[in-house]
Amino acid sequence: MSPAAQTPAAGGEPILVVRDLYKHFGGIKATNGVTLEVRRQEIAGLIGPNGSGKSTLFSLVAGTVAPDSGQIRFDGHEIAGKSAHAVARLGLARTFQIPALFENMTVTENLLAAAAEGRWQGARERAAETLALLRLEHVAENRASDLSGGQQKLLEFGRAVMRQASLVLLDEVTAGVHPNIRKIILEAITRLRERGITFLIIEHDMEMVRSVCDRIIVMDSGRVVTSGTFSEIVRNSEVMQTYLGRPQ
Amino acid sequence: MTTQPVKSRLPGLLLLAAVLVLLALMPLMVNNYWLRIATGALMWAGLACSWNILGGYAGYINFGHSAFFGLGAYVTAFLMNDPFGLPFLVTVPAGMLVTAVFAVIIGAPTLRLRGAYFAIATWAFAEVLIQFASAMDFTGGIGGIGLPPYLNERFFYFAMLGAAALTYLLTWLLFERSRFGLKVKALRDHEPAAEAMGINTALVKLQTFVLSAVTASVFGAIFAYWVTFINPKSVFGGDITDQMVVMVLLGGLGSLWGPAIGGVALFVVNRLMWMYWGDTAFYIALLGAAIVLVVLFLPNGIAGLFSGRRSNALEKAAGKLVGRVDEGERP
Repeated sequence: MSPAAQTPAAGGEPILVVRDLYKHFGGIKATNGVTLEVRRQEIAGLIGPNGSGKSTLFSLVAGTVAPDSGQIRFDGHEIAGKSAHAVARLGLARTFQIPALFENMTVTENLLAAAAEGRWQGARERAAETLALLRLEHVAENRASDLSGGQQKLLEFGRAVMRQASLVLLDEVTAGVHPNIRKIILEAITRLRERGITFLIIEHDMEMVRSVCDRIIVMDSGRVVTSGTFSEIVRNSEVMQTYLGRPQ
Repeated sequence: MTTQPVKSRLPGLLLLAAVLVLLALMPLMVNNYWLRIATGALMWAGLACSWNILGGYAGYINFGHSAFFGLGAYVTAFLMNDPFGLPFLVTVPAGMLVTAVFAVIIGAPTLRLRGAYFAIATWAFAEVLIQFASAMDFTGGIGGIGLPPYLNERFFYFAMLGAAALTYLLTWLLFERSRFGLKVKALRDHEPAAEAMGINTALVKLQTFVLSAVTASVFGAIFAYWVTFINPKSVFGGDITDQMVVMVLLGGLGSLWGPAIGGVALFVVNRLMWMYWGDTAFYIALLGAAIVLVVLFLPNGIAGLFSGRRSNALEKAAGKLVGRVDEGERP
């Protein structure tokens, strides 16, 4: 049974709607008219070759970069061009392709810092729960800079959890990590979706995409090429040729 | 913001209590000469802490911090003289207010810069104030301005002690024990990530900048009344900021007690050189050597020697021994 079939909310109302989104850096068309939707409580995968505009799309949605034109509607709010902190306060959390930790702070402080703007009451208890969820209790008082690469990915994911966001953007959150840590992250994503959180995940690992994503959105050259379930995507010859690099 | 058990904090709390008792009884134990040295040491410890608020906790290296020390000094001098003739205690909050306004005006645009660009912009601001104070009549021009003398060493000692104690208490509460401190340290370590956590980094930086500036202005006000005469170089001079920077680097950047350790140590060394050699030229060379030694051997300053770096390493080793999920997985 595909993950989509197991999801009660699959096919629900959209939480994120992107329409005709353009962002050019000089002559480079990073996003060239992106249009997509992510439905509430969905786990959507975003795949595409390097340079296809996936990370730029994340930066545009999260408010790190302002778009040239287009619409981004998140949870009923028009957010195109809003600052990153304003978008985050509306309930959107993100991770970065390269972990962006608060390196001189401890693991616990990193988690608490993620809750510093927002609902502070019970933050310590939530931090303890997040440490347990991600099995980071034993390094709770270590500096973030002292963590291994995999633990850093876990911690960054944990910070997104601490935001109590309704939509979480994960940028290659399992890239290059130990299989044990990948398993912890996948389990956490599944459990958090059950609590009503929506995920949009950039990923190159097709096995992870297949195992966790309800729907896959494929980008190439700054545009959305197609979207569908994993089995639909792998039957698409255009996707197989441009992304997977082999004929159907 | 990690909470230590009371038992592990006890030695530190006892040491702090002993230092506070010693400081409170100091005027009964030493003559006026040493009391002046203690007053100066408290001023530098407080000034270093005020610089550390922005430089250490927020990661913005301010090379124009003397501007705020000077503003506090000049507002006090201006308001205590004719035609105002205001009491000293009224001039201190006035200086804080004026400094806060300047800090907002200067901070709002310059805090968009980072690294050397911010350092140069703030250094230029202090230089502008030197030129302005040198050129204007109401500041006394390059010749400076006098204040009504008040020859009571104990008053100035306790004023500096109170200001320094309040500065450290405020720093501890705001930066070591509150949400605000977490926000400031988060933006220091990774500003885009802090923004992504919902933190309005522009506002938090400005608040930190104003706090850092206002605390410096208090020491400027007390200093002006204490020495009874100031001129542009004596309160806006770049060497004042330079000393704060070296004191903080020596003591420990971004730590609570580092600036106190560095401030007191360097000021006392300066005074001892003056006492025994009658000259402080060698002190400048000593500052340079201190910077080199700190960069090479003490990147976390003297306070870093007592921080949890070693226990972290031990915890890591213990984690490996009991076989955690990440064992051997570091890229």
